[in-house]
Amino acid sequence: MNLPPEMREGEPPPILGRWRNMNAVVLAWLAILILLFYAFTRYFS
Amino acid sequence: MTPLDWFVMIATVIAIPSFGLWRGRGSKTVNQYLLAGKTMPWYAMGLSIMATQASAITFIATTGQAYVDGMRFVQFYFGLPIAMVILSATAVPIFHRSGVYTAYEYLEKRFDAKTRALAAVVFLIQRGMAVGLAIYAPAIVMSVIFGWPDRITTLLIGIACVIYTTTGGIPAVTWTDVLQMSIIFSGLILGLITVVSLMPHGVGFTDAVYLAGTVGKLNAVDLHFDPNNRYNLWSGLIGGSFLALGYFGCDQSQVQRYLTGKSVAQSRIGLLFNAMAKVPMQFFILFVGAMVFVFYLFIQPPVLFERAAMKKISSQPEYAAVQRSFDQAWQRRKAAAERVSAARKSDDETRMRASVEEYRAAEKDLDTARQNGAKLYEKTSGASGFNDTNYIFLSFVTRYFPAGIVGLVIAVIFTAAMSSSSGELNSLAAVSVMDLYRRHFRPQASDRHYLMISRIFTALWGAWAVVFAQYAKNLGSLVEAVNWVGSFFYPVLLGVFILAFFFTRVRGPAAFWAMLAGEASILACFFFTKIAFLWYNVIGTVIVVVFGALFSIRRGREDRISAII
Repeated sequence: MNLPPEMREGEPPPILGRWRNMNAVVLAWLAILILLFYAFTRYFS
Repeated sequence: MTPLDWFVMIATVIAIPSFGLWRGRGSKTVNQYLLAGKTMPWYAMGLSIMATQASAITFIATTGQAYVDGMRFVQFYFGLPIAMVILSATAVPIFHRSGVYTAYEYLEKRFDAKTRALAAVVFLIQRGMAVGLAIYAPAIVMSVIFGWPDRITTLLIGIACVIYTTTGGIPAVTWTDVLQMSIIFSGLILGLITVVSLMPHGVGFTDAVYLAGTVGKLNAVDLHFDPNNRYNLWSGLIGGSFLALGYFGCDQSQVQRYLTGKSVAQSRIGLLFNAMAKVPMQFFILFVGAMVFVFYLFIQPPVLFERAAMKKISSQPEYAAVQRSFDQAWQRRKAAAERVSAARKSDDETRMRASVEEYRAAEKDLDTARQNGAKLYEKTSGASGFNDTNYIFLSFVTRYFPAGIVGLVIAVIFTAAMSSSSGELNSLAAVSVMDLYRRHFRPQASDRHYLMISRIFTALWGAWAVVFAQYAKNLGSLVEAVNWVGSFFYPVLLGVFILAFFFTRVRGPAAFWAMLAGEASILACFFFTKIAFLWYNVIGTVIVVVFGALFSIRRGREDRISAII
C-alpha cells in the first residue's frame, strides 16, 4: 500500500496548526460523546 | 392547522426556493453550475452535507423510532466522524487535485472508461430511485395525517425543488441547504422545548428523563458485541465507518459538496465540521422522540398512530377487547409512572424499586396490547409487517403543539425533503452530463452547451422524481428494495476507490473482478446468513480490497502506477 503525494502534503488548517491535531480533536470529541452517552445510558437505566 | 400555521408553513416553503434562486443567479458556466466555481466556504459545505443527508423521513421516523425502540439508533452514526477524518485526509485532496467533476471521472483516470461508466450507471439507478422516494415519503405521511392528496404534495415539493435547482445549480442548492439547516435546528429546539413544557404539573425535566430511561428508552450505548444485533457500539463504530466511507467517499451527491470548496483545506474543514455536529444532532432528534414517549405516559395515546389503520380496526368485532386491554394497561402504566416520580422525591429505596418494577411490567403489558392492535390490522387488511413508527411524531405534533409551531414543524419536514432532493438532483445531472453525455456522446461541445444540458438533465431528473413519487405508493416492496440496493453497492464502490487510492499496482481488470467478488460475498451474506446489514459494508469492502490485491500480486514493481493522478 502506497500513500499518494496528495496525502503526504497539503495546506495547514486555519486553526491548531496541523491536520493531525484537527483529526485528534474530532476523534477525541467522538470518544467524549460515546463516554457521555454511555454514562447517560447507565445513569438513567 | 390554524391560519398562523398555514402562514408559517407557506412563507417558509416560498422563502426557500426564492432564496435559492437569488443565491444561484450567477451560474454562467458549467463549473459554476456543478462546482460553484470552487468558491464555497467550509461552513456552507458542512451544513449542505448535513442537509442532503437529513431527509424528511429522518425527522419523522427517527423520533418515532426513539418512541418505540429507544435511542440505540444513535450508535449507527458513531462511525461517521471516523470516516470523515479518513476522507478529509484522502478523498478530498485526491478528488480536488485531480480536477474532476464527479467521483467516477477519477475512476477512468485511475482504471478505465468502462469502470467509470459502470460506477456512474450504478449511481444513477440507485440515486434515481432514492430521489423519488425522498419526495414521496413525507407526502404519504401528510396524506394520512392531514388528508392532503399525496400527488399534490409530491408535485409541490418537486416543482419547488426543480425550479431553484435547475436555475441556480449547486450554489443555489448549497445556500438553500444552509438556510434549511437553520430552520431544521430551530424547529428541533422549539420542538423539544414544547414537548417538555407539555408535561403534566409535577413532572419536571429530570423526572421525564428518568421515566424514559427506566424502561430503556435512553439506551444510547450498548457495549455487548453481537453481529446479529443491528445497533450496538461495535456495529456502529466498525460497520458505520465503512458505510459512511462508502456514502461520503463514493456517492456523488456527497462528493460534489466537498468539490465545491474554495480550497482543499476548506473542504476538509467542512467534512470535519459535519463529523462533530452529526452525532449530537441525531442524539437530539432521538431525545425528542424519547420525550414524546414520556408525554404519552400521562396523556393516553391511540392504540395505533396511523389514523387509517385505526379506522380500519375500529369496525372489527375484536376491536373492543383490544381497546379495553390497551386502556387498562395504559392506566396501570400511568399510575406506576406517577408512583415512580413520587418515590424519587421521597428517597425511599424500597418503594422506589417496587414502583420501578411495576412501571416496567405495565410498559410491557401496554406494548403487548399495542402489538395486538397491529396484529388485528394485519389480519383485517391482509398486510404483513405493520409499522406506524413514521406517524408517531407528526400525530403528536398536530394534536398537541401550539399554533405556529405546528406550521414550523411541517415546514421543517418540507424543507428537509427539498434539501435532500435538490442535492440529489444536481448530482444526478452532474453524473449524467459529465460521465455519460460528455464522455460518450458530445466530448467537444462548448461550455455553454454543457451548461444548458446540465439544466435540462436537472429538470429531467426532477420530472422523473415527481413521476416516480406519483407511483411509489404502488411500489411498497420497492421502497425496501431501494434500501437494500444501497447496502449492496456502497461497499463495492468503496472497495474499488480504496484500490484506486492506495494500491498502485492494481489495474482495471483486477479491480473489475474484485468488484464482482465483493458483490458475490454480499449476496452470500444476504441469502445464507443472518448477519446485520451494517456488517455487509465491512465484508464487501474487505473482499474487494483483498481480491484486488491478490489479482495483482504477480505484477512487478515496474507495473506500478507512478502516482495517484
